[in-house]
Amino acid sequence: MSSESPTDRASRRTRILSNHLTTSDLQVGGNSLQSNICLSYSPPELHEKIEFEVRKMRELLDVHNLQDRDWLFGLMMQSKLFNPQEKGGKVFVMPDFNHTKEQQREMTMKRIEYLLERGVFDGWLTTRGPETEMRKFAFMETLGIFDQSLAIKIGVHFFLWGGAIQFFGTKRHHDKWLRDTETYRIKGCFAMTELGHGSNVRGIETVATYDPKTDEFVITTPCESAQKYWIGGAANHATHTVVFSQLNINGRNQGVHAFIVQLRDFDGNICPNIRIADCGHKIGLNGVDNGRIWFDNVRIPRENLLNSVADVTPDGQYKSAIQDPDQVIFSCCRFAAFLAPLTSGRVTISLSAIYSAQIGLAIAIRYALSRRAFSFVPNEPEVLLLDYPSHQRRLLPLVAKTYAMTCAGNYLKKMYVKRTPESNKTIHVVSSGFKAVLTWHNMRTLQECREACGGQGLKTENQVGHLKGEYDVQSTFEGDNNVLMQQVSKALLGEFIAAKKKNKPFKGLGLEYMNEPWPVIPSQLTSDILRSSNFQITTLRLRERDLLNRFAAEMSQHQSSGVNKEYAFALGYQLAEDLGRAFSDRIIFETFLNDEGTVSTGPMKDVVGKLRSLYALTCMEEDAAFLRYGYLSTEKAAAVRAEVAKLCSELRPHALGLVSSFGVPGAFLSPIAFNWIDSNAWSSSSA
Amino acid sequence: MISRLLDLFLAYEVDPNVNLIILKGNGRAFCAGGDVAAVVHDIRKANWKSGAQFFSKEFILNYVMATYTKPQVSILNGIVMGGGNGVTMHGRFRVATETSVFAMPETALGLFPDVGASYFLSRLPGFFGEYVGLTGARLDGAEMLACGLATHFVPATKLSLLEEALHKVDSSDSAIISAIIDCYSQQPYLKDQSAYRRLDVIDRCFSRKTVEDILSALEKEYMDKADDWIKNTIQSLKKASPTSLKISLRSIREGRIQGVGQCLTREFRMVCHVMEGKLSKDFFEGCRAILLDKDRNPKWEPARLELISEGMVEQYFSRMDDEEWDDLKLPSRSNFVLPGHAIAKL
Repeated sequence: MSSESPTDRASRRTRILSNHLTTSDLQVGGNSLQSNICLSYSPPELHEKIEFEVRKMRELLDVHNLQDRDWLFGLMMQSKLFNPQEKGGKVFVMPDFNHTKEQQREMTMKRIEYLLERGVFDGWLTTRGPETEMRKFAFMETLGIFDQSLAIKIGVHFFLWGGAIQFFGTKRHHDKWLRDTETYRIKGCFAMTELGHGSNVRGIETVATYDPKTDEFVITTPCESAQKYWIGGAANHATHTVVFSQLNINGRNQGVHAFIVQLRDFDGNICPNIRIADCGHKIGLNGVDNGRIWFDNVRIPRENLLNSVADVTPDGQYKSAIQDPDQVIFSCCRFAAFLAPLTSGRVTISLSAIYSAQIGLAIAIRYALSRRAFSFVPNEPEVLLLDYPSHQRRLLPLVAKTYAMTCAGNYLKKMYVKRTPESNKTIHVVSSGFKAVLTWHNMRTLQECREACGGQGLKTENQVGHLKGEYDVQSTFEGDNNVLMQQVSKALLGEFIAAKKKNKPFKGLGLEYMNEPWPVIPSQLTSDILRSSNFQITTLRLRERDLLNRFAAEMSQHQSSGVNKEYAFALGYQLAEDLGRAFSDRIIFETFLNDEGTVSTGPMKDVVGKLRSLYALTCMEEDAAFLRYGYLSTEKAAAVRAEVAKLCSELRPHALGLVSSFGVPGAFLSPIAFNWIDSNAWSSSSA
Repeated sequence: MISRLLDLFLAYEVDPNVNLIILKGNGRAFCAGGDVAAVVHDIRKANWKSGAQFFSKEFILNYVMATYTKPQVSILNGIVMGGGNGVTMHGRFRVATETSVFAMPETALGLFPDVGASYFLSRLPGFFGEYVGLTGARLDGAEMLACGLATHFVPATKLSLLEEALHKVDSSDSAIISAIIDCYSQQPYLKDQSAYRRLDVIDRCFSRKTVEDILSALEKEYMDKADDWIKNTIQSLKKASPTSLKISLRSIREGRIQGVGQCLTREFRMVCHVMEGKLSKDFFEGCRAILLDKDRNPKWEPARLELISEGMVEQYFSRMDDEEWDDLKLPSRSNFVLPGHAIAKL
């Protein structure tokens, strides 16, 4: 405990108080009329310098459709539907989370209708091509910055329901449903997950039986565990759904297929033989009406089978290009092209996670640039939070990671819109790894930002704390992060075995470096070496390569001792998850380095270079694998750690510029990011 | 005059004898805007930089006003246009009267709403700012108050009493000054034909993504309901410089998510490009047709919206390609303790 006696404390407190009175006179300077005897909010804009062009840095991060994004930000800011609130002279938009879940759902739907009227969704399903897809991504990112519920509700309708029609359906489905989906004449949802089966879709229990007498399928929920669960849009609004179901033809199971079923009529009444219940209140995303669905022998026309890979003839013949029923929808090779469009879910999740991290950091850093606590020297002014090295160490590596991961997200988007049958496997692997790493990064960042804002972080209006609930689901939906990491490692192992067996060089997934001899890490790690991209990439690759070798050795050991392949994977989870991370970190680094290369020499490039070093060295500092397997000796690991601290202090002067470049308008941040004294003043405390 | 105003503002800020600043017009108009004809003359005589210098001073003045530590009360009797709005709208109090006429008519002149208009127009309700900025529509005092361009409405006959009362104030406290103006204020009647009563149509049309979309939304409204106001709105857009319309829309949209300093810095880049005349000569053509020859028949180039690509618009927002030319240098305001309403603009 403190050695200070109560009287000492009292006199120190008096000194500080009188100090406020005397020094504030000096601060007022020529403006002696202002009677500022207390703390006043000093906006970071006035005392922080920005040495690079924020506009250019934002271009590096947002890359595409900047005007479209700004237009959409403006659409939201200027409408009462987006709940504008004035705090401290600034207007903030944010859903009213004090609303009940029913109110939040209705508001989400109203916002969608408003955006629809203004033309935001024009062409989302009726035009195709990379340009449309990039614009859709930009809009999804922008909408998610306002509210994750809004983005998800729109995502389910367009990407899951609309995407299923587009990619699992054929012309008759496109003609019938796409335009009506784009105009929201019908509202779609996507019924895949069941109470008993989530990630393992092959195990779902819903059954569709063909009845050749009536030319219909009969959809049935045979048991409680087969109820469709978490179906976004089902509880209140959806009129139609895609149902994933086992297809039963003449008593033979043909595997999982997708069907269209109408849930509600156009007056909103639930259709006969369908039961829908609510999933209830959630820790976040209450603006999305997640529901549960039971099908009681629902009859649908034969044409409602989405038949792009398999069809049923009127007389009940099953026609498919593939023999193995398991392969129809979930094939990993030949029909990957068929599955790939659904990867868009993982792409949008990765990107929205990164924009959420940007919001959290922009708020926490801006607060740390205006909030002071304690003094280094008695009677001196208190110190800005961000001038504490510990505070820098908490937040700035997260900024560096967010920069790196933003570039990685852009790489993923580009790869996705330019997809070819050949690139589908890479997209699948990279999007799995990125989705896991980026969503975990977001959750960790939000927690750190929440703590860095102290009690203010607890207020819902200040976002950072509340967003944790809104984004938590990301680590498990569209593939559990741990499962995804294991899938990444499985794919890498496949590459490894193929290369070794056929004695062919590695090609793809960025593994070409494995054809080279093992690298040597320099014995002396000077600052220059630590900051060289050569050292950084070599070290990150060394970890990935070694983990892959170890993983392969462990798998073959398990298998040679008689353990089957799947169980061997389950046993090897430790290396599998480490390897998945090593792979993702390495690709993220490469994309960031590549983007750095596009920046022309000058102050901006210097800053990006520092961020890149901070990213790489933080990866090394955080993962025990570097020490555990000896890629770095204890001395080298200490050198890495010291350099991280140095980089933090060098990046400190750029903090405001770095978070301003995220391009999230102030209205989408929160009161503590701005004048938190005025926004908490008695005169503005109506709530 | 701008240099003089700037000097006075800077001096008054540190003068303990000054509590507030009252800005009023001398004569029938408050201020019809900057002397654009003189700027054109300067450019013709020397080069674009001499024209741009004028704007540099003007925008710095606008910035100082926006971040001023003492209340500025502007009395807007008569016409307030263009640069006139630049020296009033950033101040704390704007008093309109029944004689006030507001407009930002720059798009008809081949320019764009500058002097920080991308800041204050973009913050009007809904998409009223886009409407006012693109069409150059004139607003009366009641409309100014309704949309927030004015903070008070005082009948012209009471202005001298108001001034007298303000002279007696021994405080810089905004609340006190606001209360004094309130004593002379009244609630004016918003005329039935007011554009402000059409906010729903304005929002539907002017929220559209591009100028072309805005026009076709207006035309669709007109098809549904033939109406003079919509017809006039369409006509003002069709008369304006297509380039001006496109850069103005983008400027207002960007301004909406920027602070006042960023707005002025960006507008300064834009104005330099306009003065340089390399991307388009519409400004010179507009001045010729409206101010010099007065034939009111400018020949815009490019002549149609669809001939102006996003890339061409983009160039107005880039740094000048000139080693010797810098972005706008805003004066540091860090030595002052700014009032909350000024901090909120940063």
